[in-house]
Amino acid sequence: MRNPRTGWLLLSPTLIVLIIFGFLPFLYVLFVGFNEWNIFAAEDGMRFNGLDNFRRLVFDDDFLNSVGLTAKFAVFAIASEVVLGFLLAQMLTRNFPGKSLFRIIHTFPLMVAPIAVGAIWRLLVIPGFGPVPFLLDRWFDIEYLIGTYPDQALLTSVIMDVWHWTPFVTLTMLAGLSSIPKEPVEQAKVDGANRFQVFWYVTLPFLRPVLLTTIFIRIMDAIRTVDEVSMLAGGGPGTRFTGIYIWRVVFPRTDYGYGSSISIITLYLTIVLCWLLFIGISGQGKDEVE
Amino acid sequence: MEERPDNAKRDGFLPFYTNAFDRVFISAVILIGIHLLWLRFMEPALPIEAATVISLAIGFVVVRRG
Repeated sequence: MRNPRTGWLLLSPTLIVLIIFGFLPFLYVLFVGFNEWNIFAAEDGMRFNGLDNFRRLVFDDDFLNSVGLTAKFAVFAIASEVVLGFLLAQMLTRNFPGKSLFRIIHTFPLMVAPIAVGAIWRLLVIPGFGPVPFLLDRWFDIEYLIGTYPDQALLTSVIMDVWHWTPFVTLTMLAGLSSIPKEPVEQAKVDGANRFQVFWYVTLPFLRPVLLTTIFIRIMDAIRTVDEVSMLAGGGPGTRFTGIYIWRVVFPRTDYGYGSSISIITLYLTIVLCWLLFIGISGQGKDEVE
Repeated sequence: MEERPDNAKRDGFLPFYTNAFDRVFISAVILIGIHLLWLRFMEPALPIEAATVISLAIGFVVVRRG
């Protein structure tokens, strides 16, 4: 059973699928990233242009702004989702009347397709039609126009993302909380630890792998957000995230080479961010290991 | 010999224990990062080949001593 050939044989179908649908397209995008390729250009086909796409990218204010905006969006959305998800998971570990019904209703947003989520929120916030601008104006005298004010558009995108993805975080946290053994928690309580100390020194270390996985998944999702936000604000001010910028470069402008180079750099930034988080949260540092 | 959490991992100058893949990965990350920063800030003064030489040197040190 421990024969390595058997292991590779069992892994081979997955590896073949991964290579065909993951690795080869990645290599192709990497190749296109070093070429100038625009189907409406005077010269037909691809033309190798070395690092020119990357040279253009590091001076492209629209791209750099989109990275900053995406980072802002990801930080606010993920932090809110993790905190809310944890609190809801804690609540769901206890018994209360209507718990089953709450759990079903709570997971409804997960079943809705992102494009439909964007459409629902668009209907809620569209000026002159949606209830949100109407009520904000009537109750608080706030002029709510997501097409005009970038901060409002960003905030609405964050709230929409939190609404959509908090149930996912709750479910993963609930799974993590359910797997924590009761003994260490009870021992800590017997030793006189208060609720915060139990959370900080017992619950959180046990939850670390779940927390890490959840944050990774949410970071990757947040960075590639396109459909929801595009439907909500049409990529207007405050919502020109990296995904939307790539879409604009690749599709309406048909600048495939430049779009590929932006995609590669976005992937690079995602990997670096996840790796740094992994080192920070997973306790791989020498101080923590020793 | 210092005690290590995993025999396959090495205790180098990096602030965490690394195996060979980790060190190659870190070198690749540094290589791309240096090239991008070079394109943005240094290229008018020095050609991009200088960034390649510097990042390969750093990568070599990370792989051997990291």
